[in-house]
Amino acid sequence: MSFKKFDQQTFIVDSANAYTNRQISKREFLRRMGLAGVGFSAFSLGMLGNPRGLRRGSMLGTEAFADGLPDNQAKWLKEVGSKFKGAKIRYSTESTPPSVVLNQIKKEFTDPTGIEVEVEIVPLEQVLAKATQDVQGQLGSYDLYYLDQSWISMFQPDCIDPVAYYKEKPELAMPDFDWDDFSKPLVQNIAQVEGKWMGIPFDIPIFTLMYRKDILEKHKIAVPTTYEDFLAAARQITEAEKGNGVFGTGLQAKSGHYSLECDWSQAVWGHGGSIFNKNKKFSGNDEQGIAGLKWYQDLLKVSPPNSTASTWDGQFEMMHSGQVALVQSWDEFFPGLDADDSKVKGLWEPAKPLTAKKLRSPSDAGFNEQPNLGHQGGSCISLSKYSKNKEAAWIFMQWGCCKEIMTRCTLLGGFAPMRNSSFADPRVKAKAKVGPGTTRHLETVKWVIDNAMATEPHMALWAGLSTNEIPTELGKLLTGQAYDGDPKKCMDALAKDIDAKVKDAGLL
Amino acid sequence: MVSHHARSLAVDVPVSGTAPRRVWPRFLTSEHPFPWLAPITALILAFGVYPLLYALWLSFFKRNPITRMNVFNPTWNWGKLIGDERVWGAIGHTYLYTITALSIELCLGLAIALLLDSDRKGYGLLRALMTLPLVVPPAVTGMMFLLMLDGSFGVLSTGLVSLGLWPPQHPILASSGSALAGVLLADIWQWTPFMVLIMLAGLRALPKEPFEAAAIDGATPAQAFFRLTLPMLSRIIALAVLIRGVDLFRIYDYVKVMTDSGPGTATETLTSYAGTIYFKNADFPYASTISLFTLLLVIITSSLFIKLFKVRF
Repeated sequence: MSFKKFDQQTFIVDSANAYTNRQISKREFLRRMGLAGVGFSAFSLGMLGNPRGLRRGSMLGTEAFADGLPDNQAKWLKEVGSKFKGAKIRYSTESTPPSVVLNQIKKEFTDPTGIEVEVEIVPLEQVLAKATQDVQGQLGSYDLYYLDQSWISMFQPDCIDPVAYYKEKPELAMPDFDWDDFSKPLVQNIAQVEGKWMGIPFDIPIFTLMYRKDILEKHKIAVPTTYEDFLAAARQITEAEKGNGVFGTGLQAKSGHYSLECDWSQAVWGHGGSIFNKNKKFSGNDEQGIAGLKWYQDLLKVSPPNSTASTWDGQFEMMHSGQVALVQSWDEFFPGLDADDSKVKGLWEPAKPLTAKKLRSPSDAGFNEQPNLGHQGGSCISLSKYSKNKEAAWIFMQWGCCKEIMTRCTLLGGFAPMRNSSFADPRVKAKAKVGPGTTRHLETVKWVIDNAMATEPHMALWAGLSTNEIPTELGKLLTGQAYDGDPKKCMDALAKDIDAKVKDAGLL
Repeated sequence: MVSHHARSLAVDVPVSGTAPRRVWPRFLTSEHPFPWLAPITALILAFGVYPLLYALWLSFFKRNPITRMNVFNPTWNWGKLIGDERVWGAIGHTYLYTITALSIELCLGLAIALLLDSDRKGYGLLRALMTLPLVVPPAVTGMMFLLMLDGSFGVLSTGLVSLGLWPPQHPILASSGSALAGVLLADIWQWTPFMVLIMLAGLRALPKEPFEAAAIDGATPAQAFFRLTLPMLSRIIALAVLIRGVDLFRIYDYVKVMTDSGPGTATETLTSYAGTIYFKNADFPYASTISLFTLLLVIITSSLFIKLFKVRF
């Protein structure tokens, strides 16, 4: 049907008449209206400008550091991998920097082996839903899983222990893989549940302190080291700079989002509390928990109002655009702050996370929770028990996690590696200067990983609690929807709800 | 009339002394309704009936988060739903959203349709321009308004703050008192033109004689509108309200993109809550139960509306 054949006026009115007389369906009606308006809509969409890109990803893949695998590993890849030529493996993952890089360089795996790799990059909650459906039906739709540390215990029965598999299948084992090279704290907190390997550590965003040295120098403020110092500095900067559009700090306090739970749990740990106590009861409502939440509420008062609508992306934007001066958050932001398009290139500095007066001992917390100074949001890559291409997927997994590829991922994105050798790699050290994909924050990150890494509880309900119940109730409190600003009321309500769910699940 | 594809299936059979006779495959000449209804019936069964029955079946199971097995427990999810405060909050938001959007879209739609109901030059173009929002996918519209209402750089927010109409410390989408209004704005922008088109069609179909008679009798435009136009349009209005109301009850895209049901649960609707339970808690049976409950509410509300307003098709 050509629009030119119709008078525009008659066409639209006739179509509307036909629809109300039920001569055409709603779908057909909308299609005709679309036909009439498509030219204008294309124009209007064009006028909207370019969508915001993934800033942290914008510098990925800009430099080639392809030294290639060592000879013995390259030979292994070709000889062993090519036995599975034609196989196709699937991996569903969140858009994390290593996943993005791996997706970009997967051709280097496919060319020598003939194994096709489909990397499906989707939002975090969809990764969880897809993996859950896959394991519940034991479908084997995905050969490899991306497992966030907050879900890991939920998938305990569904993953193959990679170290055991490495030993069981020597004919498939990559030479010089070097399991001992992986950072031990990362293995324990990201890849193991009750001592069993669930996968290989793959990504480690972790909380560090980041500050604008120019603003701190301008106001003669020392780099804060305690929670009290941080709040005082943020207040001072907001009061002095608010007129210039600069705030002391910015938060990732979006209601109902995991980012808010991350901020909150760090505040609780930093005030000597924990999410669960040793009796496996929710303890966000104890004295320390309330102190942490009060501190966070005070911090929100000196943050940009949009903090309650921001996730980690929004928080990064605040830093990248020069809107905030102090942030305790994900180290992954750092390379983007030194990118060429950053308004604050070279002005941010990394520092160790804020110290707590007293940390709660892990033995006094529940579900293997590790209260500490640096909240980690790591993930591991795991081999599915239900995979129909286990061998091919296992070869890809070893390739993606070998020393050379992991180091290259760091070099391409500037984010923290999983292997000690990558931290020490001269190429990584050479990039520790201001510029896109900088690695100048990695020394601090290594310190946090080795000395102060905090981990959320490992329990089957945690995926839901951390992304729904906790951040939703916190959101109600922080935006004034409920609890009249009283943190105790909010935490008591949450404790009642969570304790009931834990009991119902048989976890007590 | 047969389609081009069907025509290509026909075979020309030569008949001596006459022009070749066209023979159609038997299934294309059947007078029985079955072959014609079979494809659409299969589609409805596969994509409508089966998912509905599956959701119903799923709602009778309790999910064990440890074993991830679904255990038969027919009353668990329905009992949980009745005791779930968030469900009741979501029902309130869903009705509030539906009634507010419907009222505004209907009034605006009728008003704009009255303005555009003219044969004068240029009005056709105006009517065409009105359709533009309808061709933008709702998720894209949600993203547009999310950016425009952003507390830091959004053009709408900045404008309202600059004019002193909105306090800068309360971003529209991040404040529990205003977030639903922000989401409604996107919906109204996108769907008012739909109402305009329906109302325009209705206005154009009205007979001229009663209006001419009213004009001769000295009726004012307001009298003509309230005593002639509105009563004569009532069927069209009822139909538009019904169609749009059902659509509004299923609101998901704008809420998901713009607020993700927040802040807190300030914009949580039944469908967005079902999505949260499905994607975040991975409790598929409970999410199915909430979806079925939403369907039940739609059916009950629509039936009441049809009965109360005596809608006839």
